[in-house]
Amino acid sequence: MSKVRFSSKRLLLTLMLCACSVILLQNYDISEKSSFVFDILCMLFGLAICFVLFIPSVIIKMRTNLDFLTVARTVTPKLKIPLAVLYSLYFVYAAEFFLLPYTDMFSKKYYSDVTPCLIALILLSACVYAALKGVNVITRFGIFLFVFALITNLLMFGGSIGTLDFELYGFEVTGSVNDFIKNTVYFIIPAFIVTLFACLSGKTKNFKLRQPLFALIVTGLKYGLIMFFIWFSLGDYASKQEYQTFILARAARIGFFGGIESLYLALATMSVFMIISLVLCAVTKSAGKESDIKYVIIFAVILFAAHMCGSYLNSVKEIFTNNYIFAVFTVITAAVIPMMYVFAGRKSSARKTLHSINMS
Amino acid sequence: MNNSLSEILSDLKADFSDSADLTIRNLTLKSERQIKAAIVTIEGLCDKEQLSQSVINPLLPYDFKSMKGQEAADKILSSVMASSDVVVIYTKKEIISFITSGFAVIIVDGAQQMFAVGVQGYSFRGVNEPESEVVQRGSREGFSEPLRVNMSLIRRRMKNPDLVFEQMTVGRESKTQLMLCYLKSRVSPKLLGKLKKRLNSCNLDSVLASGYLSEYLEDERSSRLFSGVGISERPDTVCGKLTEGRIAVIVDGTPAVLIVPRLFVEEFQGVDDYSNRTYYAAFIRLTKYLSFFTALFLPGLYVALAQFHPEYFPTGILIKTSESLAQTPLPVTLETLAITFVYEIMKEAGLRIPKSLGHAVGIVGALVIGESAVNAGIISSSTLMVVATAAICSYVTSPLYPPVTMLRFIFIIIGGLCGLWGIVIATAVMIISMCSKTSLGVPYMSSLAPFSLRTMRDVFVRADWKSLSKHIIKVQRFKETEV
Repeated sequence: MSKVRFSSKRLLLTLMLCACSVILLQNYDISEKSSFVFDILCMLFGLAICFVLFIPSVIIKMRTNLDFLTVARTVTPKLKIPLAVLYSLYFVYAAEFFLLPYTDMFSKKYYSDVTPCLIALILLSACVYAALKGVNVITRFGIFLFVFALITNLLMFGGSIGTLDFELYGFEVTGSVNDFIKNTVYFIIPAFIVTLFACLSGKTKNFKLRQPLFALIVTGLKYGLIMFFIWFSLGDYASKQEYQTFILARAARIGFFGGIESLYLALATMSVFMIISLVLCAVTKSAGKESDIKYVIIFAVILFAAHMCGSYLNSVKEIFTNNYIFAVFTVITAAVIPMMYVFAGRKSSARKTLHSINMS
Repeated sequence: MNNSLSEILSDLKADFSDSADLTIRNLTLKSERQIKAAIVTIEGLCDKEQLSQSVINPLLPYDFKSMKGQEAADKILSSVMASSDVVVIYTKKEIISFITSGFAVIIVDGAQQMFAVGVQGYSFRGVNEPESEVVQRGSREGFSEPLRVNMSLIRRRMKNPDLVFEQMTVGRESKTQLMLCYLKSRVSPKLLGKLKKRLNSCNLDSVLASGYLSEYLEDERSSRLFSGVGISERPDTVCGKLTEGRIAVIVDGTPAVLIVPRLFVEEFQGVDDYSNRTYYAAFIRLTKYLSFFTALFLPGLYVALAQFHPEYFPTGILIKTSESLAQTPLPVTLETLAITFVYEIMKEAGLRIPKSLGHAVGIVGALVIGESAVNAGIISSSTLMVVATAAICSYVTSPLYPPVTMLRFIFIIIGGLCGLWGIVIATAVMIISMCSKTSLGVPYMSSLAPFSLRTMRDVFVRADWKSLSKHIIKVQRFKETEV
């Protein structure tokens, strides 16, 4: 695997695409009672929290130019195994959090004859190949996905402009505290990219604080546009349906040109492919063996087994796709634990160790 | 080495096992001491007239008086020989190397040194326009088989002392000569070192064409589907690449010159692009990219849509396609695979068949296999049209023909088994594979991924020469290059 350092900008671009995929794949899990403007406010608050969660890993990156896992293993070698277990668990959970809705959406909305587990198996096999090539190669793939996402979104939004209707729904602010909490938790989900950044940023260079900020702003714009079109183009019809973004793509038409949902599906597939590939890279890194074929395959098998359980046992599926559990888990892995190391790293002994690693 | 003429000659005869083409012309020089000498050549490799004029004619009448062998040899070099191309040699290995390259070796009894005289005169194909890289505007010269002719074609275009030709020998048995050609001020020494190391590791018995070496020049653990080694038969193309810091490998006996590193975007660049107007060059480039994607994806997408998602066809096309497919006995996947396979067979037959029969084969292919099969209802006209369009498109970027053909088969099978979703996954894997590929340490997808705005001026569109000439492109400066 290549030892070369790649641009941090590209990693953040890839993570931004991963963050955007949340609204592509998820069941648009926000309150039905709240208004559009209220949802936007919740989104802004949620993404602001995401940015705050970025701070510990950004400090570690700027201070040491290393990823969080390397720093943690160096500063506290005795905690190597508990940390590996915790982060491996988190990444397996994160992978299932995206894989289960994706296969569910695929079989429910697109091609009902197919077995979700077969889709998961093929997808995971492709992800194993990508994970073995490393993060650098996956981020290069992210450039192509970015272009494809841009075209798909332009077609999806351009094709929905004709059906916009502002008369039925206004821009008033309505919503309760419960709605606010529910919506904000949904909009904290993109913070999983913070954990990915914390674990995978070791080989990047030229990191700037504005990069995560920009990534979150673009994510917010995309979310805002999708919410806007779902709200004003699909209206009440959307709230009664599952996977509203898919419905938006299916309803979009440019003249005689329809079938944009096939492009949407391609985008969603490639996004999940990228997320799981990155997760496999991160999970093997957390286990201490980056892009090692044995470890990648072991974790892919674990993911497949977890997916089988999630597909056939509803209780397991509910746990795997629970926004609250995911948000809490994300906050712990993305911010709480790295924050401890931010303080631990200030000790002179830790500084010396990190400095020697950096020099080597 | 022993300086007795008879021993040297008997050693040579033994080494060549008295081969019929080893020619030894024994001479007795005009002198008081009756000095013995010999001229050793290989039959058919040297020009006999040139040999007579520049060596034998001046040598025989010259009076060496009372000189000894060594003195006579010195005199031959300084005053007798009428050739400008003389190399002083000392070993048997050198004798073999020079005579097999068309030189005549003069051995004087009792002298330590010998002389290799350049009298090469073997027959070879002239400098013709390469058939595989035809241009509308530009030079009509293409490389030929002899190494020295190819070197001169490059030197004529690069009148620069920076241009270096470095000789190497590969092939344990064939001892094939090759030249590394580069611009000293532009090439990366590390890149050059890496290339030499790989060529030295080549343990082939014989290297009969440049293609034998291309696999040795590929990076280890790098995907082999797309080639990381460029091939050109045009000296102007090679010169253009040299100015970007690339290295050309000219192999004796092959008109195809290898160029490393090779990038994906180069497959879409042609010599004509730089002679045409910028807007037309940009149009041609975009057409090439479109053709590449059509050749790669069209049959697979057609199969996927026809089999799993016919609703995506526009109504008019859907009706025609459905009618056409309903009349054929085979499922659309098998039908597309079969037609693509038959096309490949016909293409191979067309390449190997004598030219006089080519026309007949064309008629058989087009009328019998094509039209008759459609009329008989064995294959559908829409499938035939899709395969034919993809086949034509694949020749627009001919260097990519092998990977495109293989991938087309894969996409047809995947499209038939998994539909659009399968094609998406296969495309993702293909992109990952291409992104992970490197050519001599330079990322194969450079300019696109890793993205570089500066080099994009010569990717999808070609900027005007004023803009292009502002920045010198050096291949080792591409992002994330590992040399």
